[in-house]
Amino acid sequence: MYKKSQASLEFLTTYAWAFLMIAVSIGALYYFGVFDFTKYQPQKCAFPSQFKCTDFSLSTAPNEVKVKLVNNLGEEIEVTSLSITNDANPPILCLSASPEPPFNWEYSTEKDIVFSACSGGGFISDNRVELKISLRYYAINTPSRPIHTINGKINGRVI
Amino acid sequence: MGESYKTKSEKHKMISKDFPGNRKSQSSFEYLLVVALTFAIIVPTSYIFYSYSKDSGQEIADAQITKIGTSIIDAAESAFHFGHGSKITLELNIPKDIAAVAIIDGRELIFNLTSPSGISEIVFFSTVNLTTEGSNCDANECKLPELASSGLKKVKVEAISRESINISII
Repeated sequence: MYKKSQASLEFLTTYAWAFLMIAVSIGALYYFGVFDFTKYQPQKCAFPSQFKCTDFSLSTAPNEVKVKLVNNLGEEIEVTSLSITNDANPPILCLSASPEPPFNWEYSTEKDIVFSACSGGGFISDNRVELKISLRYYAINTPSRPIHTINGKINGRVI
Repeated sequence: MGESYKTKSEKHKMISKDFPGNRKSQSSFEYLLVVALTFAIIVPTSYIFYSYSKDSGQEIADAQITKIGTSIIDAAESAFHFGHGSKITLELNIPKDIAAVAIIDGRELIFNLTSPSGISEIVFFSTVNLTTEGSNCDANECKLPELASSGLKKVKVEAISRESINISII
C-alpha cells in the first residue's frame, strides 16, 4: 500500500512540475509578444468609400500621422472637425491637425490630413498601432447644413 | 566480451527488446512535436483569417449601402424626369449594420452605418426633392425606419407632384 501511494505521489509531482514548466514557458512567450499575431496582419487604412483612403504614414520623426483621403461624395463640403484616438490607455493625443478645421473640400479632390505632435497611445517606433480617425462635415449646398460624422481606422506600424 | 549481431535488423530487435520504453518515448515525443507544429500553424492562421474576414465584412456592408443609396437616388431622379405619377419599384437587400435611415432637407439621404470604429453617416445627395410619408417627417427631417432593419425590402419611388419624389416601403 505504502509503495503504491509513493508511486502515485511521484507521478503527480512529475506532472505538476511539467505543468508548471509549460505554464511558465507559455507566460514567457506571451510576455515577449510571441502570441501577438497582430504584427503579422497587413497594414490597413479603412474609411467608407465616400472618403476613400489612398495612402497613410505613421512616423516618429516628426511624431505625426498622415492620411490621404479623396472626397467621393460628389458634393463640396466644409470639414468642421478632425479627431484621432485609439483604445490604448492613455489614448493617442495629437496637438494639431492640418489643414486646420474648418476648411473647404471640393468634390473628387484629395486632401493630405496631417495630425502632428502625437504622443501616448503606444505611438512609438516599431510598434503596431490601431488609430481611429473621426471627421465631421456638412454639405455647403444643403440649406440646414446638418453635420455628418465619418469614422475611419488605420492599422499600421510606426516607423 | 559482448554479443556479436549478424545483421543490422537483428541488432535493432535486440535493443528494442532490452529497452522497450525507449521506442515508446520516441513515438510519444514525435506525436507531441506533430501536435505542437500543427497548433503553431493553425492558431496564427485562424487569427489572421478571422481578422481579414471581419474587415472584408465591413467593406461588403459599405459597398452594399453605396449600391442601395445610389439606386434609390437614380430611381428618384428617373421618376422625376419621367413626370408626375411615374413609379419605380426597387428590390433592395438591406445589410444588418444599418442603424437608421433619414432624408434631410429633401436632398440628403443618410444611412447610419455601424462599424467597429463607430457609427458613420453615409450620405447620398439628390438633385430632386425627396420626401416620405408625412407621419415620419418632422421639420426638415424624414425618417425611413423600415429601411433600418436587415432583409429584402421593396421600395417604391413615386413622383407625387412636379416637385417631389416620395420614397416608401411596400
